[in-house]
Amino acid sequence: MKDNPVDKEKVKSFLLEVLKENVDSKSIEWLLQQKEKIAMEASYLKFYMAFSQASRYFKKQLLSLSEKDKEKANQLVKGFSPASWDQLQTARSYLLLHFEENDPSTWVKALNKLFETADMHEQQSLYAAIPLMPFQKEMTERAIEGLRTNISSVFDAVALNNPFPSKYFDERAWNQMVIKAIFLQRPLYQIQNADERANHNLAKILTDFAHERWAAGRKVMPELWRFVGPYIDGENITDIKKVLDSGDLLHKKAALLACSLSDFSEAKKLLELYPDLKAAIQNGNINWESIGKEFQSTIQ
Amino acid sequence: MEMFIDPHIHVTSRTTDDYEAMRKAGVVAIIEPAFWLGQPRTEVGSFKDYFSTLIGWERFRAKQFGIVHYCTMGLNSKEANNIPLAEEVMELLPLYVGKEGVVAIGEIGYDDQTEAEDRFYRLQLELAKEVSLPVLIHTPHRDKKKGTTRSMDVSEEHGLDPKMVIVDHNNEETVKEVLDRGYWAAFTIYPHTKMGSERMVEIVKQYGPERIIVDSAADWGVSDPLAVPKTAALMRQRGIPEEHIRMTCYQNALTAYSQSGQMDEMDWLNPEPIDQRQKQYGNSVLRGGQTPKVEGSDYVEN
Repeated sequence: MKDNPVDKEKVKSFLLEVLKENVDSKSIEWLLQQKEKIAMEASYLKFYMAFSQASRYFKKQLLSLSEKDKEKANQLVKGFSPASWDQLQTARSYLLLHFEENDPSTWVKALNKLFETADMHEQQSLYAAIPLMPFQKEMTERAIEGLRTNISSVFDAVALNNPFPSKYFDERAWNQMVIKAIFLQRPLYQIQNADERANHNLAKILTDFAHERWAAGRKVMPELWRFVGPYIDGENITDIKKVLDSGDLLHKKAALLACSLSDFSEAKKLLELYPDLKAAIQNGNINWESIGKEFQSTIQ
Repeated sequence: MEMFIDPHIHVTSRTTDDYEAMRKAGVVAIIEPAFWLGQPRTEVGSFKDYFSTLIGWERFRAKQFGIVHYCTMGLNSKEANNIPLAEEVMELLPLYVGKEGVVAIGEIGYDDQTEAEDRFYRLQLELAKEVSLPVLIHTPHRDKKKGTTRSMDVSEEHGLDPKMVIVDHNNEETVKEVLDRGYWAAFTIYPHTKMGSERMVEIVKQYGPERIIVDSAADWGVSDPLAVPKTAALMRQRGIPEEHIRMTCYQNALTAYSQSGQMDEMDWLNPEPIDQRQKQYGNSVLRGGQTPKVEGSDYVEN
């Protein structure tokens, strides 16, 4: 996979601009001072300390962004979604981009130390900032390690609203991420490029998972069927039918939306049985985001 | 409901039953001082992972039971005696002292009162000054009186303001000097050793509530994570005024440690609702089939 280098200078000034719109000038002043200190100091300690102490100057309040800001972010780094970022992590990412180290292996080593000594919010900031980092391919193992966390906010930082996984994870890591997101009942529609990375193995793992849950008398989250849709076949069509017969409208919508992703003739026939829902799918009223949001509202 | 702070408890070695009981008894916030693990560590990596647990997993675990977890960072006196290792830990500490929710450098001080202990105690006093954090002093169990006096002498030699220093594990013999010199005097309530609740009541009767702090120091040994609420109950039974109970079992700890800028009453007065579903699967504190505690909403199982 080709690494598209991030234009670090442009990202830095974008982050600073956004922060200026969101926080008071005293915090900005502190940030700019730290930036200078990091640049002057040969030891990494100044950088590590500033990264931690940012919590004294910035809040964990979500950024408020204009549409223009959001577009600009996406232009700078495709998929970069600061709308899901808070002020503190934005400041931390700004400092991170001022940590200059031109040799990738030295850089990764220094970053790993920061990851290993990070508190919860720092981990969250670091994982979410990987798509802005100068050496990305080198961070793949670290990002995979982030999926092994037990802390959902850290898992989310890797898996959700992040362009990194779909770009760099191999199939095994990608599938693990999706399965764990399902276990944790995370909003799957926030996984970027989900449809592009759907694969046959994942579809098989997920139908096996559904069978296990059903055997235990439990349900599976409706967004799961998104990843099965393109791989509906003579075998798993019975699972789709089972969901359609469950009587729950949200699950029914999900099963039909999955059918709409399939070229399998029986799946197409199932869709024909529900003309109203089929029309709603075709005009975009039923989509994975609406299903995911509705499902999340039932568990929160 | 009455609120308590247990400003000294090693919850990494306690169970979720303890957390539940503490929350039920009114404990809203705790401070976990970095200490030893009952046996000496041999690698600096063990310290690193322990420190990371204090600001990561344990904080997360406590939150699931509605308790706000803070910690102190430091090299304890026992392990200061392994000099090569202690030197490595000193290099590690600056990475942790600036983290969110780190409310002091501690627990540090003397155990055997060796030269090595003295050296690393002094280095950490300097570190505390540099990062403007309070200090939590662990006073020795043996030769306690002299060790306590020495801890304060050395702290003053390094120019620390007594109001930034909490001296812990006091008893009837040490309390007067500690208070007279302007320090916070903390008392650890152990079921069988050190201080018991009965003795604690007498001390509050004699000295009043000012700058006196009650804690459990519950750990992997015989100890009681409910020592603070139980002592408060005994104080009430013995006619200690309500305000004195509030000061010694809540407010004084808050006042002393909030000097760090890292502890705020709003953290528990205005918390996010407890939600154990925002978890950690795999090693979740909830196992399959358990219904998590959720405040303010119905749990709908997937």
